[in-house]
Amino acid sequence: MINKDLGIDFLGVHFENPFCLSSSPVDNCYEMCAKAFDEGWGGVVFKTIGPEHFKIDEVSPRFDELTKEGTPFVGFKNMEQIAEHPLQENLDDLTKLKKNYPNKIVIASIMGTNEDDWVELARLVTEAGADMIEMNLSCPQMTSHAMGSDVGTNPALVKKYCAAVKRGSDLPMMAKMTPNITDMVPAAKAAMDGGADGIATINTVKSVANLDLDKKVALPIVNGKSSISGFSGKAVKPIALRFIQQLRVAAGMEQLPISGIGGIETWEDAVEFILLGSTTLQVTTAVMQYGYRIVEDMKNGLMHYMEEQGVDHLSDLVGIANKNILPAEDLDRDYKVYPKIDWDKCIGCGRCFISCFDGAHQAITWDEKTRRPSVDYSKCVGCQLCNLVCPVGAISTGKIEMKPGRQGNVEDIDIESVRLTH
Amino acid sequence: MSNNYTKEDSGYTMTTVAEEAARCLLCHDAPCTKACPAGTDPARFIRSVRFRNIKGAAETIRENNALGAICARVCPTEKYCELACSRSGIDVPIDIGGIQRYVTDFEQQAGMKILEKGKSNGLKIAIVGSGPAGLQSATTLLEKGYAVDIYEKNTKPGGYLTYGIPEYRLPQNIVDYEIKRITDLGATLHLNTAIGSDITMDQLKADYDSVILAVGASEAKMLPMFDDQANVETAVDFLARVKDAKGEVTEPDNVVVVGGGDVAMDVSTTLKRLGVKHVTDMVYEEFAEFRASKKELAGTQKAGVTIVDGYVPESMTGNEVTFKHRKIDAEMKIKADKVILAIGQQVNTDGLGITTKRGEVPFIGYQTQDPKVYVTGDIAHGDKTVVWAVRKGKEVAEEIDKTLMGGRQND
Repeated sequence: MINKDLGIDFLGVHFENPFCLSSSPVDNCYEMCAKAFDEGWGGVVFKTIGPEHFKIDEVSPRFDELTKEGTPFVGFKNMEQIAEHPLQENLDDLTKLKKNYPNKIVIASIMGTNEDDWVELARLVTEAGADMIEMNLSCPQMTSHAMGSDVGTNPALVKKYCAAVKRGSDLPMMAKMTPNITDMVPAAKAAMDGGADGIATINTVKSVANLDLDKKVALPIVNGKSSISGFSGKAVKPIALRFIQQLRVAAGMEQLPISGIGGIETWEDAVEFILLGSTTLQVTTAVMQYGYRIVEDMKNGLMHYMEEQGVDHLSDLVGIANKNILPAEDLDRDYKVYPKIDWDKCIGCGRCFISCFDGAHQAITWDEKTRRPSVDYSKCVGCQLCNLVCPVGAISTGKIEMKPGRQGNVEDIDIESVRLTH
Repeated sequence: MSNNYTKEDSGYTMTTVAEEAARCLLCHDAPCTKACPAGTDPARFIRSVRFRNIKGAAETIRENNALGAICARVCPTEKYCELACSRSGIDVPIDIGGIQRYVTDFEQQAGMKILEKGKSNGLKIAIVGSGPAGLQSATTLLEKGYAVDIYEKNTKPGGYLTYGIPEYRLPQNIVDYEIKRITDLGATLHLNTAIGSDITMDQLKADYDSVILAVGASEAKMLPMFDDQANVETAVDFLARVKDAKGEVTEPDNVVVVGGGDVAMDVSTTLKRLGVKHVTDMVYEEFAEFRASKKELAGTQKAGVTIVDGYVPESMTGNEVTFKHRKIDAEMKIKADKVILAIGQQVNTDGLGITTKRGEVPFIGYQTQDPKVYVTGDIAHGDKTVVWAVRKGKEVAEEIDKTLMGGRQND
């Protein structure tokens, strides 16, 4: 079995691998975190610890899922807030975890209601032995508007509270950002100005996932009513990657240290977050669905990827794809690429014909007798929708052609992808 | 063991049917839809399931087929829609019958009433026989505004559906529900009424605008060597007896079945489900030319039946039957407690005023020489399956309508 070093340094702390549980129901107590460490996770961001005076009172039920066809958990809606256990019990768990798992990384997530809370919580978790602090400035379902994403969308408060944490602790600290904002850069800059060492993102996206059509109430139904709350899982991955990309290309933030979060469940998801600038990774939803064991395939798959890429240090991969995502106006618009149909694979279902007519440019014709499509190059714009809808991978990218009057050598044009050519 | 006889295999759940529907490629020119003899549109109802519109799926099935829940269970789909399925180009066809069963079960549980009676046109049709062809023609005629009376010689309606197909494959409550739908629509059933003895054809012709004969092939064929043998029973009698008793029957330990069609498979599997230790099915055809559907054959083999292909019965002495191979020099003698003959069925046309040749009327189409009298179902030209009975039931109704109404819309 392959074995490569997945170790990586983040904010001056060494992680044996980049995979961490994010602050959530999956790391709510010592036993859970211990089991996760035993199964191979590199770190945990222990479920957010709040001040003693703020009482957590949860609803029941508290989850919902978005499904599609036979696929469960396309997305996951969650109404749970921060840790319910008494403050001292949480602090004792942190101490015990660090004592029993000295090589694993224990990150304390904290959330206060005012500056004093933040200072005090930072001091307490530092005394308890945590390796790092994560500030939860982003939970979208808190019962107090002085906490969570209402704070994270206010750069002045973000800066003030980051500075407060730095007064209470000298541990490395990351601020966890909310995606419920048009531009994350001002909030992230405010966090860094306030003393944060890095950024964790994204937290969950505010959502209403489903409604009960008879009762006319959103799900989950909490004694007849429901609330907007955070959405996570595979469906939010594109949103998370977009925010991370935007942070990493903002002026002055090119080397911003990021802990990436949002829909990670496979090694491929993990690599995407790393290539766009994440140094560590955090996971919850996939663990809620499948358990801690998913880390085994994420680690092993990542090792094989590094081997294929000839990379010995994971840090060599961090952020190397940022430069390949450009503003729309900077892309090459001088050519088009036609689809190529593999007749050995085509089974004659006609899905390409339907999608091209109804969703693109009527460039595929259909032979009723032979049940086979053909491409009308005079109409094809090279969008490759047919390629995406083909259920058997019979359509790939084919001939490249320069648009009339444009300069360029088709030999030099790079559009090949294993994810589009099958 | 009757439990095993009455127990139907479990069907899909909402989750598993969604998974199966998601396998469907949603073809542009769905070959499954072109392949159904009854004109069912699987492409459309599977798409409805895919997009979570189960009620719409039920409408697609029911508006086309009065026996949708029955066809879902007994149709040899491997020869029709599933044979045509494009998914076979990847792995295995979509389980169209299984999806149809989920949808029609939903329709029943939701108490949906999809069929609508047409506005009365004042015309009356008599249908002789309440099997699948009679039931479908009744439904189509009712939808067009005709009044319909169905005459059935037996005590229960349904013909072969009720008396022939075993309970584990087609629960009687499904048959009863399908028939209730049709009587709710306005069909009147006259049970225990035989044509000839209880009411004459002349009487029917006088009382009705048209008469449809849908009597089917309800009588078992015999072979002379088995005449007067005490421990020989026909498949028709056996299946009817077991179904009527809901499997509460006692059979001996060693039974030989003669025949290789779906009926022989039903008899053999039923015997195993009843707990018979040794069931040997002797088949005229060799495996390469087998008549039973692959699904039925597989079920029979799974049940533990010994199947011997290529043998013809020669003689029976006491409880010993001698078989000879059709092509090679081989002979088998089997001592059996009982022999069940599943070698085909024949038509009884007594009192109907028609003639048949090899079980069919000797012409293509539905109208007989007597312009008031039509035939449909197994006695009409074409395949002898439930799905074909549905097709013929619709077609005979269309032909009557064309004759009586000149194809005019009744509105």
